Amino acid sequence: MIRFLVRRVVLGGITLLAVFTLTFLMVVSVPGNPLQTGERRLAPEVEQALRARYDLDDNARYFVQLLKGALRFDFGPTFQYPDWTCNQILMQSLPVSVMLGLSSIVLAVAVGVPLGVAGALRRHGAVATVGVAASVIGACVPSFVVGTCLILALAVRLKLAPVGGWGTWAHVPLPAMTLALPFIAYITRLTHVSMTDALSRDFIRTALARGVPRRRVVWDHAFPAALGPVLSYLGPATAQAMTGSFVVEKVFNIPGMGQHFVNAALNRDPALLIATVMVFSCLVILFNIGVDVAHAWLDPRLRERMT
Amino acid sequence: MIRAAVILLLILAGAAALALRGAPSGPTPDFRYVNSSDIHTLDPARMSWNQDLRLALNLWEGLLTTDPRTLLPTDGVAMFPPEVSDDGLIWTFHLRPDAHWSDGSRVTAADFLRGWRRCIEPGTAADYAFFLTDTVSGASEYASWRSEAVAVLTALARRAQGWPLNPEQNSLLARSPIAQPVRDALSERGRSFAPHHPQEGSPSDTGIQSDFNRFDLPWSSLHETVLRRHTLEMEERFRFVGLQAPDPHTFIVRLHRPVAYFADLVAFPTLSPIHESIERLREHTRFDHSTAVPSSLEHADATTVPLTPEGLVTYDPQWTKPDYHAHGYPGLVTNGPYRLTAWAFKRSVRIEVNPFHRDATRIACRVIEAVVIEDPNAALLAYEAGDVDFIPSLETPYDHVLFQWASTGTRPDFHVCALSGVYFFNFNCRDSVIDGRKNPFVDARVRRAFCLATDREALVRDVLQRGDRPAGSFVPRDTIPGYIPPAGLSYDVTEARRLLAEAGYPDGTALPVIELLFNTGGSGVGHATLCQAVARMWERNLGAQVELVGKESKTFAHDKAARRFMIARANWYADYNDPTTFLDVLTTGNGNNDSGYSGEAYDELMHLAAVERDPARRFQLLRQAETIVVEVDCPVLPLFHYTGLTAIRPGVEGIVPNARLMFPFKGVRVRR
Repeated sequence: MIRFLVRRVVLGGITLLAVFTLTFLMVVSVPGNPLQTGERRLAPEVEQALRARYDLDDNARYFVQLLKGALRFDFGPTFQYPDWTCNQILMQSLPVSVMLGLSSIVLAVAVGVPLGVAGALRRHGAVATVGVAASVIGACVPSFVVGTCLILALAVRLKLAPVGGWGTWAHVPLPAMTLALPFIAYITRLTHVSMTDALSRDFIRTALARGVPRRRVVWDHAFPAALGPVLSYLGPATAQAMTGSFVVEKVFNIPGMGQHFVNAALNRDPALLIATVMVFSCLVILFNIGVDVAHAWLDPRLRERMT
Repeated sequence: MIRAAVILLLILAGAAALALRGAPSGPTPDFRYVNSSDIHTLDPARMSWNQDLRLALNLWEGLLTTDPRTLLPTDGVAMFPPEVSDDGLIWTFHLRPDAHWSDGSRVTAADFLRGWRRCIEPGTAADYAFFLTDTVSGASEYASWRSEAVAVLTALARRAQGWPLNPEQNSLLARSPIAQPVRDALSERGRSFAPHHPQEGSPSDTGIQSDFNRFDLPWSSLHETVLRRHTLEMEERFRFVGLQAPDPHTFIVRLHRPVAYFADLVAFPTLSPIHESIERLREHTRFDHSTAVPSSLEHADATTVPLTPEGLVTYDPQWTKPDYHAHGYPGLVTNGPYRLTAWAFKRSVRIEVNPFHRDATRIACRVIEAVVIEDPNAALLAYEAGDVDFIPSLETPYDHVLFQWASTGTRPDFHVCALSGVYFFNFNCRDSVIDGRKNPFVDARVRRAFCLATDREALVRDVLQRGDRPAGSFVPRDTIPGYIPPAGLSYDVTEARRLLAEAGYPDGTALPVIELLFNTGGSGVGHATLCQAVARMWERNLGAQVELVGKESKTFAHDKAARRFMIARANWYADYNDPTTFLDVLTTGNGNNDSGYSGEAYDELMHLAAVERDPARRFQLLRQAETIVVEVDCPVLPLFHYTGLTAIRPGVEGIVPNARLMFPFKGVRVRR
């Protein structure tokens, strides 16, 4: 297990370095001046001074400086917002994205798994129909539509929640619901399919034939087996929920990381872009390792293979 | 399973605790308004965005300020009008005795000197440094000398760290007087650099034979020598800049030419004073073990130099924070009617009354919060739900409906206002071939034909539908008191066709495919729809074939700067209350003259206007100049002058929608 973890962490480090290099190459090779912020063009002397100040005058040097900084978790200043460092921006926005992403995943599992299981147990029941309908809607309707509808109905009309913003518990439910919807859809379908599959397996039939009560067969034997694919999906899904909430952040005016990632790319802000990409990559790698560990926990066969 | 759930919930609770903290606490704000994006910087010298400047108007007070009703300069820390010498060159400002910083100390002329000097220092990189370099005697010379020094010192600092010099740096070391110690060191070692031999046909300075990289020089000590020498010389040189603070209450500015609108510039937030506490955060260079390591002033002593290794005057960028206290810094100190009390990135900015301001007792809104809402929909929803009181600029995809509501009186809280901004197209007047294609717009007749074939009335009425004013002139009508811009070309298809035929393109035949470059996005109907509509007019009226090229904004800016376009979309907003804020853009060599236009008669008239002292005669000269660009040479095609829409909640008094969307809040009163 330890050896497995060490190998994964080392591989993760190499991946991060590759991601860093690729991101750097892309951001310095696309056209566009990171220092120009408004419509007005910078005077040549001013631009030259800024390039000297931020080490932008030499790409090789800039790469080395950024990499040195990244190893110390210090990504330096941003160009668009000179009063803030990348670290300050990450410190303010990462917890917001983590909170929003985790709540939506918890919500997605809490709703999606029962819906999927119920659907598999009673294939033509009302719950199954609701589950299918929900997953189709969740997968099809874009989150800016869902978000705006939720705001109009629950915030503007019924005044049950604030319109947007961040800062209190009341701000969490609407965006979390909006962000959770596509995950609910996917988890419902995934649980449904793998539960149906598990229920038709030989060992289930054997257990039922030996007279084990159906309830125990379903929960103790079929359900853990069916959770495998859902668990595999949860790793990337959690990372995606934390990092891919750009649209939801926009609609609900949430100061999370998604917008910094998009804005940094649009503004050609190399340091901030690399900082956000590195955080996102770390999250993806971490959650994938986490999922592997969880798999080993649930499935003794894998645990043996890992050691 | 249960264990996993517990762990997950614990993580969630931890994240929640972290994520939900940091929201500004304190008294409920009296007034809340929307910023459509976060403040880019609170350093007044570096500001250029509207939301930054709007906040600066409330945090700082310049020698003069702008009256939001008339947009004319009025009293600030000094009384208006200041004392001006007969030749218009010497401006003397007398500071009022009751001007105080938010820490209670007095505002002095030295604070203005510090603030103004920062603007022309290359390390500040002020967008509006030209306010001073274009007007104040000696400022431009000082700034370019400093820039050259920065280039030399950057080269030396990098070389000292082992990075090779590039060809430009090599040539700089060979010729710059600032790099004399380097050349001296070389000759001391019996080596000399080969001088520049233009007769040998080397086309540029990079033809210098000496490659300083080859010489084994003591780069670290050379860097130190040059940096120390430069630090001393800086103060000597600054004496020749026309800025003086002879005593704490007098600030004297010497201009190199009379500037009719100088009072407007003085009222602009860029020229705010800066409190002396910033000096505690100045970045220094310490020379340790022969390597330059920048450190802060806490360790400043005889061995340190108050410049970065690159020769820049810089401060710890955290100086604009209210709660930053490194090295005994008190946090941001301002002298305006308000002081900054909280700034949460991308969330909100909170300002409270500066208790030491002379109007402190008369200000009704004691606490103001500016919340950041980037999505215009979300901003409007927050306004409708009563969460905010004021949206300075409403820009939604359904603008036209809101404009209709505002103009029909359905929504009396929405206010329409003519803005001092123009939406226009640049013609590429310079390059006869672009990306292998012939550019017909080098011919003024073709440009004029395209202007004449554009029905701006229809564009504004049928496409934009939001009350914008069709533009004949480059300078927006009715926004600059006393200036009446020329009428410009009207819609005349017959004349357009005649001109096009005269230029050799009868019925548009032989015209190459016309490329129209624009950036994607834009408020209201968006740039793409607008460009399509104009392209359709040209196709119908002139027989031209138009290709629309939409690019993401940075790539667009890059192409525009490199003049890789035939026609490019643009807009321009007034910075100060004078036609030159628009017309200077079209002068030869102006950094923002994207069309590449160079008109001898135009430049001459602009020059005459620049030295003319009689205001009426000056406006007449400017009008003549503008007539050339909008009726004869046509390097630009003005399409419309912007109209703004603001939302002010009923019960809020004292906000005056104006052409530059500048809103000081000290006169605002809110009745709930």
